[in-house]
Amino acid sequence: MISLGGADPCMHGLLALLIDPRQVGSVGLADWDKIIRLARQSRLLGVLSYRIQSHPELLPQVPGCVLGHLRSAAAYSAHRTQVLRVELAALAKALPAEIPVVVLKGAAYILQDLENARGRLPGDVDLMVAYNDLKQAEAALLGAGWAAEEINDYDQRYYREWSHELPPMRRPGSSVELDLHHTITPVTARLKPDTTLLFADLQAVEGKRFLVLHPQDQILHAAVHLFQDSELFANLRDLVDIDSLIRTHLNSESDWQALAVRAARHHLERPLWYALRYCRAWLATPVPDALPLAAPPAAAIWWMDWVFPRCTLPRIPDRPPPFSRRVAAQLGLLRHQWLRLPPALLLRHLAHKGLQSLRPRPAVQHKAE
Amino acid sequence: MIAACPRIRDLPPSLLAQRFSEASVTLDYGAALVRVRTVLKPFVRDFQRVYGAFFLAEEAGFADFHTEVCSGKGLRAIFGPQSRFLIDGIQPFDPFPREQALPHFEWGVNWCFGKRFNQHVLLHSGVLALGDRGVIMAAPPGSGKSTLTAAMMLRGFRLLSDEFGVLCPHTGQLWPMLKPVALKNRSIEVIRAYTDQAILGPVYGGTRKGDVAHLAPDEASVDARRLPARPHLVLFPLFREGAALTTRRLPSEEAFARLAFNSFNYDLLGRTSFNAVADVIDACSAFELEYSRLDEAIECLRAMLSESTVAAAAAAAAA
Repeated sequence: MISLGGADPCMHGLLALLIDPRQVGSVGLADWDKIIRLARQSRLLGVLSYRIQSHPELLPQVPGCVLGHLRSAAAYSAHRTQVLRVELAALAKALPAEIPVVVLKGAAYILQDLENARGRLPGDVDLMVAYNDLKQAEAALLGAGWAAEEINDYDQRYYREWSHELPPMRRPGSSVELDLHHTITPVTARLKPDTTLLFADLQAVEGKRFLVLHPQDQILHAAVHLFQDSELFANLRDLVDIDSLIRTHLNSESDWQALAVRAARHHLERPLWYALRYCRAWLATPVPDALPLAAPPAAAIWWMDWVFPRCTLPRIPDRPPPFSRRVAAQLGLLRHQWLRLPPALLLRHLAHKGLQSLRPRPAVQHKAE
Repeated sequence: MIAACPRIRDLPPSLLAQRFSEASVTLDYGAALVRVRTVLKPFVRDFQRVYGAFFLAEEAGFADFHTEVCSGKGLRAIFGPQSRFLIDGIQPFDPFPREQALPHFEWGVNWCFGKRFNQHVLLHSGVLALGDRGVIMAAPPGSGKSTLTAAMMLRGFRLLSDEFGVLCPHTGQLWPMLKPVALKNRSIEVIRAYTDQAILGPVYGGTRKGDVAHLAPDEASVDARRLPARPHLVLFPLFREGAALTTRRLPSEEAFARLAFNSFNYDLLGRTSFNAVADVIDACSAFELEYSRLDEAIECLRAMLSESTVAAAAAAAAA
């Protein structure tokens, strides 16, 4: 097993329960205390709850106070999932029928009723349309009452020129944020999937107005999202998504071969390689040994093995994070910016944000859970 | 086992402060255990008064919520000192002035219950009981609910909760969520004048709810914190200056709507909360009670509760 980077010993307990919930009987109350906190920190308490509660025979082994939190998280996830369904129904009405619209990530898992949507706490709605349809889709949403939050000209330009999505929109009164994309990675990013291939293999969902990515592209999207478009911070949930998508979508040796080929066509071999490495090590994902995927250089793997667990695994926040985790978080942040923007643009962006941070800002209300 | 633990008020203040800063104190509210750590002296001082009857338990292995009350960041630790409330490292509110650390903590704990305790239906109501016969008092803010709740405890009812009526959807029981009763503005003087038995914390002026002071739960309520009650009576109190005591029996559908829509997580729990609230309304008679004199209202309530018990016993015998 790859080192968990000094994570709390109960991290092993959380991973073990995610892999096989039948181990609940061997968890002591003091360990439950931490496992629940770690699961909640990584937005996985609902998933853990679903996995345990799908074995009703196990429930007598779960202490009452623990079961309460599992039920609470399941109820909250179910509620948010319902809110998201309502939002998707409203979006289906608002968007012109002639525009093909793709639902991405969490909302797509819900739309397809995938195993990994169960208990999962969804976040925003991410939609994707072809670049040429973007203006029309945006106008239709604005016309139907969605509004973008107020952002300054610089951020506006950042989104529209260098990003892969419009500034987030929201329907008044709705608690769900909408990101409208035209591809799955920022246009300035190092690794760019083949958009033509992405759009060529879209899948219809029975009885729905929306499309979803090809199953293998769903896996690759989750991998590139985690290993390129994130700061690697507190992202264990994304890894759990990838594990679950793999178990759902890949059923044979040839599926695996096809995934590797598709990763190469999209130039996303490296994020996939890393995703499989940590999925196998931490979530016991059944990854075949002989896959035609080129491994990154040994130094890069060593670097990632040090940074990734320290960034992505949740921790018990009773004390400030240790020095190594703070260093890892900074490295994760730098890596993210480096992969997202070419060097000249990155310098310019950092200079702008640096100057801006010197100006006084109004206090921001903490976005509570 | 519980008897071996000292009550918070019997501890030397320095020992309590040491426990708070070097380890932690786990508060047993009945339905939930809340672990608290702090180094703020004003908090410990006020805490000892309003949580005096609670026990200082040995550190249990498990707590439902892990909180910390800490000082402001940077210069705010010294100038215009502040308190911050943290739950698992998250700070849900802006800092408060340090002298108001206790009401800040109380609101913070309410936030934890409201956000992360959806295994129960959380009624926005006071709950009191005689034995295991529970009264649910639901009303919007400003209707004198907390004042009546406080007065009932001071006249021998067992306090289960002032703010969060915890209804278990699996058993239909009401669980104690025993916190100090937050009295606001004029209620503070009303309760102070009502009896000299009332243990009140300091008055915090100028909070977002005006003046606030906390009434300490009594020993009997603390000792019974792990005993649930059965819902027997649903009451919608309304204080009106100089009003004669009047009660109006509410039709089930009206009582249902008023109780359900006064809940913190009714919409979140969907069918679960619908069924749980419907069962409460089925089992209880529901009244609107207009009053101006506390003792008169309490006597009326006592009578209603024994009537409802007689009626329930008769119904059970008939069944």
